[in-house]
Amino acid sequence: MRKISRRGFLKLGAASAAVLTVGSKFTNLAGAMELKKVGQDFSPITNRERKAIPSACWQCVSRDGIIGYVEAGRLVKIEGNPKLPRTNGKVCARGQAGVNQVYDPDRVLYPMKRVGKRGEGKWKRISWNEALNEVTAKLRELRDNGHPEEFMFHYGRMKASSGKIIKSHFLAAYGTGTIGNHTTICEGGKWVAQELTWGKHYDINDVTHTNFILNFGCNLFEAHTSHVPFAQRAIKAKAERGVKLVTFDVRLSNTAAKSDEWFPIKPGTDGAVVLAMANVVMSEGLFDKDFIETWTNVTVGQLTSHLKKYTPEWAEGVSGVEAEKIRSLAVEYAQAKPGTIVSYRGAVANYTGVETERSIKMLDAILGNIDVKGGTCKAVGAKWKNSFKKPKGHAKKLNILNGFKGDAAYPNHHISHRVLKMIKDGRNGRPQMYMVYCYNPVYVNGEVQENISILKDEKLIPYYVNVNPFYDESGSLADLILPDATYLERWDWEDMVSYDQIPEYYIRQPLVKPLGEARNFADVVCEIAKRLDINLGFNSAEEFVKDACEHTPGVKEAGGFEFMKREGAWYDKKAEPLYKSYTKKLNPGDYTGKDILFDKETGVYWNWKKSKAKNREEALKKGYTDTKNAYKGYVGQKIGEEVFLGFKPDKVNKSGKFEIYSKLLEKKKFNPLPTYMPVPEHQKMKSDELILTTYKVNVQSHSRTQNCKWLTEIYHENPAWINPETAAARGIEDGDRIRVRSHLGKILTRARVTEGIKPGVVAISNHCGHWEYGRYASGKIVNRKATDVDASLKWWWRKGEHPNYLIANSPDPIGGQLRFMDTVVTVERV
Amino acid sequence: MKSSPLPRSNLYGLLSLIYNRELTAETLRELKKPEFRETLSKLNIQLGGDFFNKPEEELLLDLTLEYTRLFIGPGRHISPHESVYREDKEDKGLLWGEATVEVKEIIEGAGLEYKADYKGIPDHISIELEFMQRLTKYEHEAWESGDREKACRCLEYEKLFLESHLDKWVPLFCDKVMEEGKLTFYREMARLTKEYISLEKRYVNELLSDSPKAGQIVD
Ligand code: SF4
Repeated sequence: MRKISRRGFLKLGAASAAVLTVGSKFTNLAGAMELKKVGQDFSPITNRERKAIPSACWQCVSRDGIIGYVEAGRLVKIEGNPKLPRTNGKVCARGQAGVNQVYDPDRVLYPMKRVGKRGEGKWKRISWNEALNEVTAKLRELRDNGHPEEFMFHYGRMKASSGKIIKSHFLAAYGTGTIGNHTTICEGGKWVAQELTWGKHYDINDVTHTNFILNFGCNLFEAHTSHVPFAQRAIKAKAERGVKLVTFDVRLSNTAAKSDEWFPIKPGTDGAVVLAMANVVMSEGLFDKDFIETWTNVTVGQLTSHLKKYTPEWAEGVSGVEAEKIRSLAVEYAQAKPGTIVSYRGAVANYTGVETERSIKMLDAILGNIDVKGGTCKAVGAKWKNSFKKPKGHAKKLNILNGFKGDAAYPNHHISHRVLKMIKDGRNGRPQMYMVYCYNPVYVNGEVQENISILKDEKLIPYYVNVNPFYDESGSLADLILPDATYLERWDWEDMVSYDQIPEYYIRQPLVKPLGEARNFADVVCEIAKRLDINLGFNSAEEFVKDACEHTPGVKEAGGFEFMKREGAWYDKKAEPLYKSYTKKLNPGDYTGKDILFDKETGVYWNWKKSKAKNREEALKKGYTDTKNAYKGYVGQKIGEEVFLGFKPDKVNKSGKFEIYSKLLEKKKFNPLPTYMPVPEHQKMKSDELILTTYKVNVQSHSRTQNCKWLTEIYHENPAWINPETAAARGIEDGDRIRVRSHLGKILTRARVTEGIKPGVVAISNHCGHWEYGRYASGKIVNRKATDVDASLKWWWRKGEHPNYLIANSPDPIGGQLRFMDTVVTVERV
Repeated sequence: MKSSPLPRSNLYGLLSLIYNRELTAETLRELKKPEFRETLSKLNIQLGGDFFNKPEEELLLDLTLEYTRLFIGPGRHISPHESVYREDKEDKGLLWGEATVEVKEIIEGAGLEYKADYKGIPDHISIELEFMQRLTKYEHEAWESGDREKACRCLEYEKLFLESHLDKWVPLFCDKVMEEGKLTFYREMARLTKEYISLEKRYVNELLSDSPKAGQIVD
């Protein structure tokens, strides 16, 4: 190496003086330097104060209350907030590893503008001012041309106040309704089934008081949308009261392992078992006659005859679960009353998911387990009040949110995985500007390759902005990246549902300032609004949260914003869980009035003015069921001579009864009563074909936690689970390299041969195989030499494989749910 | 032996400026001046023909893109922050680690503060180099005013900061830049930085062992 002499250095030092004169404005330290005695200020300061700040987690959608410990300006630890009964002060591993989100060494710290071709990876940092000039110029242009709907905003997770600020205030005021979400890659089908049946979505399994937990396809001890609150109560019920837990799952998850009994079941057939159990309940006379005849819209006779064909023997043939087991389990479950059925993606993320969930809700209904103590209850969450007026007016939207014509009968939660295909198709228009927020469309949807090619194509999507604290697979294809704050650096009020049916009010507040130039996007939209001359009425997310704390009954009296900043949470200590809310009787005054109509066919009282009917006559003529958005005017349900609150509808014009018989489905040519609809592709499988399913584990959330070093150190590889019998037939041994192939393509991975999975199935988790998202997720580091410091900071090299390359972006025919659990594949040894 | 801290300080300042952000046209023009070029070439630092011959605008863009690719990302890049490299710390491989807090405390303990509009992280390489620039300048002023005690205290600080921070990671950082850099400019600057730090470490140690402790200096 060419050595430099000391003399040379000094010369260069002298010559540097001139450069420094022009560079002096770039220094970053200020103040006079007053040195103190050596040793006095250098020693590490012991007893540094640790500030404890209550806030809320966001590592998964459960959004549990947390406390962050900040020491010398650095977030060092996260624990649960004991002031919130939902978690009793506990968090899961992902919650603790939130620290890693803030300090991810690959965070995007500045607004970045693409310089090379889209996806080429050439970037330039620009100032926020430049970035927002660019964004607002485009927004202004679209709005001035009369096409604000050509601005599409697509989010993955956007909840509580962030959702209110960005969607209900900013986007509404701007005038675009082209707003996408991601519910159909989660559990959209489950929600649609619930909306068709009992109205609002989200069910709470009241495990604290139940006598029996029957579980179809939910890994509740590892992953659930209310993970810690639910897991905690379920395990307590088991440990302290010996409550039985029986799990149906294709795979021996940690939940299945902790269950009293695990039934390996063929993917997509949970519904068959449920229907057979219902059959047993009816034929054995174990049903709750009163609930069926009063609150549902079917009779005992109707049900008995409908269910007749679904015998346990038939279900055994379909699902592989022994008929005798089904029979005895049905009796045991019915007699244990109250019981509660848990279900999630294992049961619903497939072709027949909506019917499975409908069957599940029917089974709980005919046993009288609905909304009773210890049963399956409706969700209760906080109801925050803000004083700012929401913008009124009609937002135009591109018809690209609900998939293609005929994709799904009731896409109540849109069909997000079809959006890129719709854009490619172009017949319903294309957004000129596409912005994603907390959403990685390339990675989280199926057909990864196609997603990439669509996002890369500037003809299909002329301008694409990615709002993100990190550089993920979708960010790498953007034209502009706006660095978002992580959840630990921002404000929110939170409202996640409670597992005790008591509303809990809590907030998220910054534990540290956003790193670098990152900014909370909810604050950024306030600035964009100003630049577009939109008056939102507030200037920041903090102001919005403060306003809610000062206006929400209960929170306000407790001490408002200052109280919430200090405690993090408030709930009414005297509140009691509200069971059986559907039995609430209405007074005549509640359901009489000049705009309230009575619909004879359904027995529903409804206010036609809240629907889309043009006038009273039209409303009367079309009736409740056929008037668009009539459900919005739902008032009550007539039963006998009285009117009750009933099962209030949401999203569809369901009556106020618990609808086991769905007229709405009948109208769309589906069977009105819960039915088993076999997965069509499974009916014509060749003998060497297998079914691919996906799953989640306890230390990762779907796609957003793999940048966390602590978590990915624990879980970074996802070998394909395969049964010894299935493996042997293919000459596969544990650890072998295998090729998994679907009609879309193939991936290479490794086999984990285990009895913990049903023969004929291969299971690959959803968490691995990132090719961006920072060094810990993707393994992308500058130098992989063993001697390099990067290598010693990260001892693992495998990063697993992403199964979504193999999974089609196809929807279930009723709810539009992405079918994560029923892909047909072949597997071979490499 | 009496040190000449002013050129040392300037060189720290120069390096701090180089890593601080993308070069501006103004800075670039200064760097290209014949006097500077000459000094560099005497030092065996070759910034490459392109550096002096390319049209300014083009060169500036090249340098900007290279700076971004090397030190900002997004995605795979060489983090310019100390804590990411400190294997000896428990929270290694992450931003704003224990090392960052130490750096911040040393700097603030020296009576300096981060400017209110500084948006970076406290252990960015340019901050650490700027701190050395300030320390050596202060040392220079002490010598000038004949305050040997103060000058020696400065030297102690320099030694501490060099040994417990810069030397713990800057050589690793520079190796990466030398390996990964596509433009000669940043590769050569990294080489210069690495050698300078190593020289400085030796030099400050020598000086301190030569000089009697503060208060007992005999010139
Ligand atoms: S379950 Fe874990 S990751 Fe999810 S909100 Fe609770 S602590 Fe956070």
